[in-house]
Amino acid sequence: MRPGESYTKPEIEGAAAGGAAQNDAAAAASVRGVSKSFKAARVLEDVSFDVGEGEALVLLGASGSGKTTILRVIAGLERPDAGRVFLRGRDVTDLPARERGVGVIFQSYALFPRMTVEKNVGYGLALRRRPRKEIKEKVDSLLALVKLEEHRWKYPRQLSGGQQQRVAIARTLAYSPEVLLFDEPFGALDAQTRVRLRREIRALLREVNVPAVFITHDQEEALELGDRIAVLNAGRLEQVGTPDEVYNRPETEYVATFLGAANLLLGVASGGRVEIGTASIPAREETARFRDGQAVKLVFRPEDAHLSIGGALPEGCRRLTNGRIEEKHFVGAYERLTVRLDLVARRAVAGEPPLYQVTINTEERRAGLPIFVTRPKPETASTPLKVGDRVAVGLTAFRVLPNYALASERASRILDAGK
Amino acid sequence: MRHVRGFDASRPLGIGAMLAVMLPLVLLPLASIFIFGTSKGLGSFWAALTAPEAVFALKLSIVTSFWATVFNVVFGLFAAYVLSRHTFLGRTAIIVTISLPTAIPTAVAGFALLLLWGPYGLLGQHLSKEFQVMFTPYAIILANIFVTFPLAFGVLMSVFETMDSSLEEASATIGATRWQTFWHVTLPSLRGALVTGALLTFARAVGEFGSTILVSGNLAARTQTAPLYIFAKFNEGQIEAANAVAVVLALFSFVIFSVLFFARERLEDK
Repeated sequence: MRPGESYTKPEIEGAAAGGAAQNDAAAAASVRGVSKSFKAARVLEDVSFDVGEGEALVLLGASGSGKTTILRVIAGLERPDAGRVFLRGRDVTDLPARERGVGVIFQSYALFPRMTVEKNVGYGLALRRRPRKEIKEKVDSLLALVKLEEHRWKYPRQLSGGQQQRVAIARTLAYSPEVLLFDEPFGALDAQTRVRLRREIRALLREVNVPAVFITHDQEEALELGDRIAVLNAGRLEQVGTPDEVYNRPETEYVATFLGAANLLLGVASGGRVEIGTASIPAREETARFRDGQAVKLVFRPEDAHLSIGGALPEGCRRLTNGRIEEKHFVGAYERLTVRLDLVARRAVAGEPPLYQVTINTEERRAGLPIFVTRPKPETASTPLKVGDRVAVGLTAFRVLPNYALASERASRILDAGK
Repeated sequence: MRHVRGFDASRPLGIGAMLAVMLPLVLLPLASIFIFGTSKGLGSFWAALTAPEAVFALKLSIVTSFWATVFNVVFGLFAAYVLSRHTFLGRTAIIVTISLPTAIPTAVAGFALLLLWGPYGLLGQHLSKEFQVMFTPYAIILANIFVTFPLAFGVLMSVFETMDSSLEEASATIGATRWQTFWHVTLPSLRGALVTGALLTFARAVGEFGSTILVSGNLAARTQTAPLYIFAKFNEGQIEAANAVAVVLALFSFVIFSVLFFARERLEDK
């Protein structure tokens, strides 16, 4: 019914097909309509996604979003209530963990404390009763790959966290897993090691070309590690897409706010523009999926707002309104400003639908709305701004999302899907 | 907390008070065994110790305790594994029942065994004469098993319950069967607990008196264990004979607890 339906759907499918395989048969791993409850708590609801050949997919979500449960379902450590799991087109939903051939790198690494590094790495092959010579050769080459040759006789507790993690990866690579599953791989490490290790792992994965699923709650980690990111919220997938897509073109408010900072302004779509109180910004393309008078949210990143003291905005930057600089903070790499927009409630036109009234609340009606704007160093140096300055505010990029004012976003989406 | 200035009196006072209580209660009785045992010279001590009945009693204690320990460690491991991996109706009731012998007076335990296996007992009355277990060394093993079962089980159960499940899950995802996982991953992690449990069981079984005296018949050189020998010789007034065996038992428990105390950290992780 809504024009939005015909617009969003192909975009979601396009995102899924873009980074991943073109069809199911070629996907290294597929999760189809998986749901899972623990007692009364619904942990996963109808989750579906693909992991392509050689692809790194990051499941990003807050704690309790169900991301660990998805991982355990793929690994065969948890049975889904509904839905199927495929590995290279083979339905493995009913197979026990040991017959699936997936590699799990646990958060605690789960190295066997009584086995040396060498024995840990060779365990999978020993279980498969491979000849001793073959095991030795494989272990040698894997230890060389993860650069741990000189530690082969050590026990796990004698290694650092990063080294233990590499042993855990080598241990799974030994039996050529269909897919590698990383459970919060950097959770137990300090910030510096974390950054170094995720680059190492990224390079390692490119080298061995094994598809991988990471789970994390860290958005920076997700953006850096993932070929694609799947954002989970309370057991549902909000959006799957490349880091660029989920960051720059978030499809839901949750995605917009979970991945980095975002300004949200409530407005109304009207004649190819978004109106926020008396301010309005041209958005013909962005509002095409909305009917006139529909309540929307204007979402933009602090770095996508451009401030101009003279009122002149660069090419491609659309003017929103004017504002006054209220606060200014220096936060290292950039400058963060609070700008209070001049927004005055729009006077209702006789006969228009009541949705037009959903704009800004009473207090802000008098004082205007504050937004956050960040400016990079070169800009702060060339055009310094100070508190109290009046500026024109333009946006170089923004998203227009539906504003379901009366019901939760999720419930409304279910209603939409029903129509 | 230490005082910054002056002499802190709480330190010597505390240590002194502790020793004053411990001396007559624990340390002096132990010392007197050694003092009396060797008071008539090492020669007579050795003669008392190597008397055939004394040697037999010590041997019987060790053999019966050994088999009781083997059974309790193996079955305790099995019971702890089953009870920690599965939840079922009555699980807690079973755990409590299994652990009960710790609290039961040992004489009651011996009496209960007699009522079950004795010649007129519930099961014993159906056994023919040559298969009667009471008043044989097997009865001593049964009594030891009954009394010491909670020891190994308790140690193993607590390790199972705190074990990181991701180790076993990792083993499964790598391709191990349940049995392979148990053998290669679970069991090696239990090494410390197995040794601790076995030593505790053995030490307790060697010293068992109350239940043994009821079920063994206390027949010299046939079913008389070391503690029973001490008791019998004391009653006969042969203090020296009793004392010699007492010295051995005291030394023995001292050694076992030293091993437990110092080797434990090496056997367990970290």
